[in-house]
Order: sequence, then C-alpha cells, then structure tokens
Amino acid sequence: MTAIKPAPAARAQPVPMACAQDERKQSALVGFVLNPIAGMGGRVGLKGTDGVVEEARARGARPVSPERAARCLAALAQALAASPAKPTPRWLVAGGAMGADALRAHRLGPFEVVHQPPPEPTREDTLQTVRRFVERSVALVLFCGGDGTARDVCSITGTAVPIIGIPAGVKMYSGVFGVSPTRTAALVAEYLAGSIGLADAEVLDLDEDAYRAGRWEARLFHAARTPFEPSLTQRAKVMSDARSDAEVTAAIAADVRETVQAAPDTLLLLGAGTTVRAVAEGLGVEHTLLGVDAVLAGRVVGRDLDADRLAALLERHPRCLLVLSPIGAQGFVLGRGNAQLAPEIVARIGRGGLVVVATPAKLARTRCLRIDTGDPALDAALVGDGFLEVRVGYHRRRMVRVE
Amino acid sequence: MSAVDERDGRAHRADSPTLYERSRPGRRACALPASDVPATPLPAELARETLRLPELAQLDVVRHYTALAHRNFGVDSGFYPLGSCTMKYNPRLGEEVARLAGFAEAHPLADAEHVQPLLGVMLDLQRWLAELAGLSAVSLQPAAGAHGELTALLMMRAYHADRGEGARNRVLIPDSAHGTNPASTTMAGMIAVEIPSDPRGNVDLGALRAACDERVAGLMITNPNTLGLFEEQIEAVVETVHRHGGLVYGDGANMNALAGVVRPGDLGIDLMHFNLHKTFATPHGGGGPGSGPVAARSDLADYLPGPVVARSGEVGAGVLALVEPRRSIGRMCAFHGNFGMLLRAWAYLRVLGGDGLRRMAEHAVLNANYLLARLRGRFPVPYDRSCMHELVCEGRIEGSDVRALDICKRLLDHGIHPPTNYFPLIVHEALMIEPTETESRETLDAFLAALGAICDEAVRSPERLREAPHTTPVGRLDEVRAARHPVLVDAAVGGGGGTGAR
Ligand SMILES: Cc1ncc(COP(=O)(O)O)c(C=O)c1O
Repeated sequence: MTAIKPAPAARAQPVPMACAQDERKQSALVGFVLNPIAGMGGRVGLKGTDGVVEEARARGARPVSPERAARCLAALAQALAASPAKPTPRWLVAGGAMGADALRAHRLGPFEVVHQPPPEPTREDTLQTVRRFVERSVALVLFCGGDGTARDVCSITGTAVPIIGIPAGVKMYSGVFGVSPTRTAALVAEYLAGSIGLADAEVLDLDEDAYRAGRWEARLFHAARTPFEPSLTQRAKVMSDARSDAEVTAAIAADVRETVQAAPDTLLLLGAGTTVRAVAEGLGVEHTLLGVDAVLAGRVVGRDLDADRLAALLERHPRCLLVLSPIGAQGFVLGRGNAQLAPEIVARIGRGGLVVVATPAKLARTRCLRIDTGDPALDAALVGDGFLEVRVGYHRRRMVRVE
Repeated sequence: MSAVDERDGRAHRADSPTLYERSRPGRRACALPASDVPATPLPAELARETLRLPELAQLDVVRHYTALAHRNFGVDSGFYPLGSCTMKYNPRLGEEVARLAGFAEAHPLADAEHVQPLLGVMLDLQRWLAELAGLSAVSLQPAAGAHGELTALLMMRAYHADRGEGARNRVLIPDSAHGTNPASTTMAGMIAVEIPSDPRGNVDLGALRAACDERVAGLMITNPNTLGLFEEQIEAVVETVHRHGGLVYGDGANMNALAGVVRPGDLGIDLMHFNLHKTFATPHGGGGPGSGPVAARSDLADYLPGPVVARSGEVGAGVLALVEPRRSIGRMCAFHGNFGMLLRAWAYLRVLGGDGLRRMAEHAVLNANYLLARLRGRFPVPYDRSCMHELVCEGRIEGSDVRALDICKRLLDHGIHPPTNYFPLIVHEALMIEPTETESRETLDAFLAALGAICDEAVRSPERLREAPHTTPVGRLDEVRAARHPVLVDAAVGGGGGTGAR
C-alpha cells in the first residue's frame, strides 16, 4: 500500500471530499411519476398502449403499473431503512394516481405535488411533471411505465438528470429499467446511498403503428443516464474491483484504439449507441449517437451517413471495421436502431470486419446477442457458429451467443 | 485493516487501542546490549530530529498482539471451508522440518557444493511434482499460483515466438475460471478470450471451436473446474486447442481432487502450476509466502524459469547444480523460490507417499460429496452432479429473501469461517464449499447443523441474518463504502512524517 501522508485532523473530519456529494444525495430531491395506463395493452394483445387506451379498456384491460409501482415502493421503503447510509430522500410527485397516492401508501417520507393531472391523464401530464422535476433540479427521476414513458421522461431530462424506470410497460427495450420492481428499488437505494454510480443507457421505442401492423421497427431515441447496476462480476468483486462504467468503457475504447492504430489505412465505421460513443471519445472523434459515422486515420470523414453514402465510402475504402454495440435491453447488434447499415453494406464488411463492444454490465442484462439485418442469408453468415466475440475490456474478449 | 465504517471503527478502537494510543513517553520494551563495535554516527543529512515510534513496555506489546491474535481465525481455530483455497490442516511436522538449523540457516548465496542436501530436497520435490503432473520437468521458482500462471504464459509466448508464430496472442479461458487467469493473460501481454460454460458446467465446446483459430496461443483450464466438477469433455477440449496449434495450460489450484489419481499430462495438458499452499499443506494465511511451481512437457522444459536443480557432470557423479534451462524465460523470483515452503511441501509429500496422496484426494472428494448430498435439499444446486473436492450451491433459502452474504456472515457467529461466496461468477448467490480431507465427520455434521439452524432462522427472523455477525469484534462492514471512500489515516498517528500510514 502506498504510504499516505496522514492529515492531522482526519478523524475529526471523517467524511472525505468525495462524500460531500453523497451527503447531498442522502437527502436528495427525487422525482416520481407513474404512468397509470402503461402496460394495459399487453394483457389484451395490443402491442403497446399508446393511442389505444380506449380500446384496451374496452377489451377489459386493467392497469398494471400501479401494482408494479407498489411493489417497488414497498421494497424501497425497506431498502432505505436497511441502508447503512440511511438516505432520506425528499420527493416531488405528480398528483393522485400519477404518483402521490402510491407514495403516500408506502410512507416514503415528505413529498410535494408539482403537477395535478386531470382524471384521465395523458402523456402531456408526464411531460409537464418531468419539466417541474427538472426545474427543481431533482437528483433522480424514478418513473413507472414502459418504453413510451421512458421516451417521454428522457425527452425532458436528456442526460442532465439521471432516470430509472420501474418496468411496467408492454415494451421495454430501453436500458433504463431495473430488471424487476424490487431490483429497481435496490438500485435507487444504493444510488441514494452513494454506493453505485451512473452509466449511459439507450432509450428505445418501437413505432407502435408499425408494430401493431406486424412490423417491428425499434428506434433509438435518446441517451440517458441511469444508476449503474454492476454486473455480477463487478458486484462480487466490489472490494478489489469497484470500477465504474466509465472506467470499463474507457478500457474498451483503449482496446479498440489499439486495433485501429495497428491498421492505420482501415476505414472505421462507428455505429449507434452509448458504448460506441465511448469508443469514439477514446479515439478523440465526435460521434453521432443515433447514426453511423466514418473515421479514417483519426479524422471523421463522414457524419450520420445514410446507406448510399456508406456504400460510396466503402467503394473507396474496401478495408473496413464496423464498431457496434448491443442496443437497449434486447441485445440487438444489427437490425435495431441502425437501418442505415443495409444488408449489402454489412455483407461487404463481413463478419471479420465487425468489432462488437459491450460492458459486462450490459451483457449481464441480455441473454444473447441478436442480429437481424433483414437478409436471412446474411444473418446466418454473420451468426456463424452461434457465437460473436465481444470486447468487454482492455485485452478482454468474450464469446457471446448470438441468434 | 484499511478501512472500517466509522461506527464500527470506534467500537474496534475502544476495546483495542492501537500501539500509538498505548504509547507513554519513556516506556521501553527492551534494553539493547552494549555495542561491541565502534559507533559511527549517520551523516547529518540522513538523520532525523524526531521519529514518532510508540513507546511501550514489553507487557503492553505482548498484550496488544495477544489480543489481536485472539481475533484471528485460521484452520487451527476452526472449520474453514473456503472454496478454491484448500484450507487443510498444515501438519506441524512441516514447521519442524522448515526450522531445522541446516535448512533454516543456509544462506541463499552459498555455493552449490556447500548446500548439496538442500539442492537434493529441491530435486526430489521437482521429481515428485513432475510425476504427479505427468510432465517431464519442473521449476520451483514461482511464488504463488497466479505467479505460476504468468510464468507458464510467458513460456507459451516464447515457445510460439521461437516457432515463428509470435502472432499467436489469444488465450482462451472458461468463464468459470479464477480471476487470476485473465489477469495473468493481460499481464503477459496477451488477449483473454472468455469461453462460456455449457448447462452441465463444462466448457461449451461450440464456443471453444468458434474461438479457435490461428491466433490462439493456448487455453487455460482448471480441472476440476471452480464449480468443483470434473471437465467431462477434457479430451475433446484439449484436442480442439491442439489442432489449432495452441498449448493447453492446467491451472492446478484444484489438484487436491486429483493428486495421485489423475495426471494432467496424461489428459494432454502441456504445462501447469501447482499451489503448494493448497494441495501440499503449506500455510497460506495472511498473504504470506506461497509457492506455485510450474511443470512442463519435455519440449517446453527449456523455457522454464531458472535456476532449476539438475545433476551436473558425469551421470551418477552425484553433484547437484543450479542450472538455467537453455531457452529460459529468465528468473521469476529471487534465489530459489520460497524455499521454506518447498521444504514443508517436500516433508508432506515424503510423509504421505504415493498411496497417501491418493487417499488424501479420495477423502477430499468424499467429504465434499457428503456435504453435497446433505445440502442438496436445503439449497439449490445449479450444476447438480457428483462433485470433486468442492461443491457450489446457491445461497438462497426457500421462504426467505436472505442472501448468500447473510448466510456467510451468520456462520461467523457459529464459529465457522464462511465458504467462498459470489464465486464462481456464473452462479448467482454462489456458496463454494471446500471441506478438505482433514475434517472429521463430526466437524462436517456440525457445519451442516449450523447451516440448518441458519435456514430455519432465515424464515423465522431474517433480520438476525441481515444484521449478522453479532459476536465478532466488528459487525458487518459496508464493504462498498469502504472501497469507495476508504479512511486511510489514523488521527492518533497524525503529523508524524508518514510512519503511521496504514
Ligand atoms: C482456481 C484458482 N486458480 C488460481 C489461483 C491463484 O493462486 P494464488 O492465490 O496462489 O495466486 C487460485 C487461488 O485461489 C485459484 O483458486
């Protein structure tokens, strides 16, 4: 151990600098908003509830999100009481069924209603509420709903205010949800206690009209910040290996940088998503979060490229590496959120040109990776033996099942 | 102790003051004999005005360390089923042998001709280990298991480079492996590629094949693996890697299940390490010296780190020498490795003999299977088949939401060291239990009884578990907070020029 020069009054001032922030977080303002109709469509065979509430009700749908929120809040009350750091958050909420009722029922402490919704609330009420949260500089927004709600919340918070979702929707492709209501509660408690940090996550949503018509078109809408759930690995080794998401992505970026430096005349295509963005940062180039950029010899040579421009670039630079990461919670490496990467383009790059990156935490949330370029023969070629090599750290790779 | 929760820290300090707090001006613990050589003062620029050392009477010192020693827990004080660590009893004979003056007082720089019997011990140990490995040569240099891994990986690299295949830089490692495997790989300048396990807990052959190509330097495999399971397709695994030109390295940490029963070399393993501090009963408490000798196939023997002991001159001349293997990767350790540990392991091997070693492994496996059979009904067993020297179950209890960690902490109140937990990483809430062969049926039954009591309690009063341990000098620490916000300074030592940094 490195000798650390003792500071004379260290005992008298036991809270190191880094804790000051936690002290703030412990009595932090937290916003809570519940989308009371989220999840109704699923039970009655509608793929999502946006715009079809009436029909869902007519088919006998009952709200699921209040019950899921209740499970989370009950667990949260317990977790806060059990936490050694004893966080005592103060709450901002939407009125009635959109938050206040649930919060009151679980005695989560003082709260203030910042928006009073009408008896039949709409997404406008979610947006209004979250605007109030942001104006009041909340430390965290806890919401209950699905991808649609996540998208609404994130459209206001962006990456400025961390968000976390209690999973209650029909669609949950975004990376901002806890895996269960109780797990969400644990993450909130740990975050407020200062034990875990934040990570980037994608907010995805399907185009619901297309989805109900049988087409599955997920789109990447936003990047969000969310309390970072360490993977099993990191949780187990937390004493020796308390690494943040940012450190892991920086290590991945260093790994990719090494590959790129070894092949200076190779065209580098950077796909969508937050992990790829971290790689771009490591390379010192700007990155279009929701698009595909091209880099050659350390310089951006194309930004937010469409299929035609990509094809033209590949014509000139046949040697190419394409950096991709699984997007959202479903593990799609190709086929969701990157329609620019048309089958003929991916085919030209080939399996050998794919550089897939992901943090262990992200991989822990996905059972397997998926590829769906729209061309079954190409998909089969890319899937190969059923495993893709993923870069998970500096000089660390992992064989991950792909379908 | 690097960091404790404030509250617990105070409790700890209240009943056991530090030496600095016990210090009183003018107290002395010893009187130095009068110097019989002329005194030479230090040059002024090296001398200090003050040096804050604690001033204590001998009794203060004795009480202080005795109190601390009583808080220690080791195999000598109770059951210690710490999976993957083989916490077996370390026979006192080893200590006696290591303290024999002829061994203990030998100088590491002594000429080989003056320490022939010591070299004889080393040669004998090299041979024993080579025989147990089923490989041809051994270096006793590495000072720990992980150090042995690094040694073998550097040998792999040199081997490939000599054959014009230096581009091979990928090392395949099952996801059940110990964290030192990938760490050693990156340290050796290579790339670690993790291979998933299949539903039976074996290496997933499909994934292994997908990862094998002309870039593979080798595979690191632990057999039995860290799930305590024998690798059922070991021959196919080895064949796959060999077919692609890779070498197969055996992580011998789990040799307690195999020693004298299976020789890894016979399974196609090309090189491996032993943990003398596990299998061969040398102490490994307190992070003290370990020993991780490496064994290698004949065409890899030239790469072993030197020096190794060999007969020199005419065969049969009986002169032992320390020699450098021809293409040695160089030294891995000063002098002759951790010689004291080599002695203890050698004594252990000599006492047990080949048959004794086999019985050792058989009893280790028997004890683990006894526990597995009795625990199966209590805890979920994710990969349920006969185990080898250890078993892995999930620390979840029907009708309760306590976690593996709570169970472990509560075991402390029963005077039992907890099993390894949350490892291997592929098992949720893992409890990894390795009883070793030196524990009696009564001890195992007492352990089972303690776990039974804990399971009942988990349903009746789970908060007792969540708040455990209750009887240890320090309660449950907030490990995350301690890691994130370590308090590394002790006010009692403040201002003293760095002597008290902990
Ligand atoms: C499977 C395995 N491999 C390697 C090691 C590393 O050995 P050492 O601690 O001696 O470095 C261990 C240690 O526990 C282990 O269990």
